Order: sequence, then structure tokens, then C-alpha cells
Amino acid sequence: MLEIKNIHKSFGKNEILKGVDLRIDKGDVVVILGPSGSGKTTLLRCINFLEKADQGHAIFGAADVNLKTASKKQIHDIRQKVAFVFQNYNLFNNKTALENVTEGLIIGRRVPKAEAIEIGKKALDKVGLSEKYHSYPIELSGGQQQRVGIARAVALNPDIILFDEPTSALDPELVGEVLTVMKNIAKEGTTMLVVTHEMSFAKDVANRVVFMDGGVIVEEGSPKEIFTNPKEERTQQFLRRVLPEDYIFYI
Amino acid sequence: MSDGLNYSFLVKTFFTALSGVPTALMITIVALFIALPLGFMLALTRINRIPVLHRFAQVYVSFVRGTPVIVQIFIIYSSVPLVLTSFFKKFHIETNVYDINPIWYAFIVFSLNTTAILIEVFRSAISTVSKGQLEAAYSVGLTNVQAFRRIIIPQTLVVALPNICTATVNLIKATSLGYAMSLQEITLRAKVAANVGYNYVEAYIDIFLVYLILCSLVEYLFKIYEKRLRKYKAANA
Repeated sequence: MLEIKNIHKSFGKNEILKGVDLRIDKGDVVVILGPSGSGKTTLLRCINFLEKADQGHAIFGAADVNLKTASKKQIHDIRQKVAFVFQNYNLFNNKTALENVTEGLIIGRRVPKAEAIEIGKKALDKVGLSEKYHSYPIELSGGQQQRVGIARAVALNPDIILFDEPTSALDPELVGEVLTVMKNIAKEGTTMLVVTHEMSFAKDVANRVVFMDGGVIVEEGSPKEIFTNPKEERTQQFLRRVLPEDYIFYI
Repeated sequence: MSDGLNYSFLVKTFFTALSGVPTALMITIVALFIALPLGFMLALTRINRIPVLHRFAQVYVSFVRGTPVIVQIFIIYSSVPLVLTSFFKKFHIETNVYDINPIWYAFIVFSLNTTAILIEVFRSAISTVSKGQLEAAYSVGLTNVQAFRRIIIPQTLVVALPNICTATVNLIKATSLGYAMSLQEITLRAKVAANVGYNYVEAYIDIFLVYLILCSLVEYLFKIYEKRLRKYKAANA
């Protein structure tokens, strides 16, 4: 459904993405792992045009978009199909939870207000926030805010949802509630591309795991392959650092 | 001559001074009408470092901030008529430049002045709104204009409002310098009335009171508006 080809991105003299190819099919739950600085977040942000790639193509269904020279309309069209969940939630501070969720629908997509509110309420129900339709972000905990962020993405009914370290800014007790929501929407068949350090999510929910380091994809495969049989040295080094010490994998 | 204050004059001149309020208000409103959007947009050019424009804005602010308002008035009041005269001659317009109501020069001076102040007000206010707000707006499919109108500007306004209030009140007070252009506003009218019987003390007290009442009223209005906007910042469930 979405194919990224040969994406390059530098910030000043730093080359962050050194030629990444990635393919995502409908229904995939792809987790991207890797040390910090490996380019995982940059990759996500380039897909959504929050950063402009220096080189590369995104093939979305039938449309082939040059990431460097994409027109405003092409960017707008892609953003209709790709939703984003931010590490810092980025809820609209001056809008209630329900307004946050319906904003993209009413203003961005010209959905009639009543219909948008219905969709919004359903999305908030799905993430377990039926009591909080009219609360402002400042009244919500981090976990609740992130769940609103997920509801906001889900309500847009996108082809794929990008998650940029969705639980990294949360207190440990709140991580669970967000991961549960993500697990649920994965079960419903949502296509997800997730950058995370939560290995449990990668192991239990993902159907594909991608390991990135130094701006390239080092290895990719099913969770079983990557976690129990990592082929590359760098992958093994990384896993050894982040997984519990007695984790056994077969080389 | 001086047996205490001439109270009847005090009261009469109060209303004379009051008659200058519409002029002061008109200048304030016109200046704000021009300066608010212009200041906001030029502030954006500074934040986004738009080539050429951001340097222009920076220099413009320095010029206006670094010179006294009265001098700005002198410069505009003496140079603009000269420019207009040659302009009128070229296009064969019959108007006598010196018949132009000084209020038009006041509009120019105070619009230019307030724009510069507001550039700095908005520059700091916009920077308090995190970049993520704009990114989130883009990712739900809002255009630039929609994002600013619905998300960024409301949040900017809450932060900018106290400073906009200061700028407005300063603007109202600065209109008193319009007397240097023979502008019929509060200060000039009262002073002229005072000239008749040399009742300067009473006149100055009246002028003082009128400005105080006017500015306090404006402050109060801003306070109400600020309270309304702040709703989302410290919301009570």
C-alpha cells in the first residue's frame, strides 16, 4: 500500500537517513526499533512531510510522489491518508478533547458538524474517554492526552497511522493504558507504523519488526525472527542492551 | 487672582476635554486596525526568517523604538506634506495640502509606531506557542490559514493580550502629542480653553482625569476579554 524508496535526509552536515526502503502492506503493524539518532523519527516525519526529504519516493497506491519536489496538493492528499500520533501528544490546547478529534474532520475535510461529532464521540469511546468529551488538555493526564491523540488519528479513518514513540513521554503507570488502546486498534486491522522502545508491543502486536541504525535499515523480519534469531551483529548488540539479561537468542 | 480652584471652570473644561475623546479614540482604533494584522505578519517574518522582510522588520522596529514619538510626529508632519505637494502637482490634483486635517498625519504616525511595538509583542507571544501545535494542525489536514486562525492565533492572543493592552493605553496617551500638529484632541482643546482665563491648573487636572478615566476603561475591557480567552488555560471541570 505504501512503499518508501531510497529516502535521504540531512540536517545541515548530518546525514540522518542514508537511503531507506520500506514497504508497508494493508493491515501491517510495523515496529521500528533502533538506538537514538538512527533516523527512526526522521523517517516517520518525512513520510508525513513534517520534514522535507532530500531525496526519495513514496508510492501510495497508484500515486508516485517525489518527496523532495512534492506539490502542496500532493502533500495535502498524502496527509489525508496518513495520520500521526506525536510523542508529546500535541493536542490543541485551546480545544476540548472532542473538539480536538473533530477539528480535522470539520475544518480539514468539511465533514458536517453533527456527523463529525458522532465520529468523534465514537473514537473517544474507543479509547476509553467517554467521560472526557468536554475536558481541555490541561485537565487530562498524559495517558489521557495521548489517548485523545490516538482518537484524533483514528477518527480521520486514515490508510495508515504513524506513531512516533507514543509512550516515551509517559509515566510508567500510564504506558499500559496507551499500549492497550494501540493493541485494540491493531486488532481491528488498522495499518500502523510504530517507532517505539516498548519491546512488549513489538513482540506481542507487531507482525513485522524493522531494526534501524545509522540511518539505514539493518535488518527486518517477523518479531520471532528478530527477537530470537537476529542475523546482524548490530541487531544483536542492540537487543542485548535493551532486552532483559537472561533473554536467550539463537545465533 | 488665585483664590483656590475655579470650580465652575474645572467642571466646564472637563467636558471640553471630553470632547477630544472621540478624536483620540478614532486615532487609536485606526492605528490598531492597521497595526494588529501588520504587526502579526511582520512578526511571523521574523520568526520564520523570511529573506529580506525579516531584516526590514528588525530595522524598522529599531528605528521606531529608538526615536521619541514627538520627533516621529515632527518628521511626518513636515515631510509628508512636501511629498504630497509634488504628488498632487504631478497628477494635477487640486487639493491644497495645508487644508488636510492633521488627523490623517496622526493616522500615519501612530499606525507606523504601533506596528513596530506590536511586532515585538507578537514575536514573543508566538514563540510561546509550541511548534508541535502547528505540526499537529498540519497532520490533521488543516491548511496554513486554518491552522493559524483556529489554533495558533487564539493561543498567541492570550499571551499577547496584556502587552496589547499596554500598547493601546500608551497609544491613547501618545495622541496627546498630536497637539504639536494642532490636532483637536483632548490636550489641545483643554489647553485652548485654559488660555482664555489662564486657568491652567484646572485645565491640566481635567486633562489628567479624562486620560485616566479613558485608559482605566480600556484596561477594564481588556481584562474582561482576557478572562474569556483564558478559559482553556486554567479550566475548571
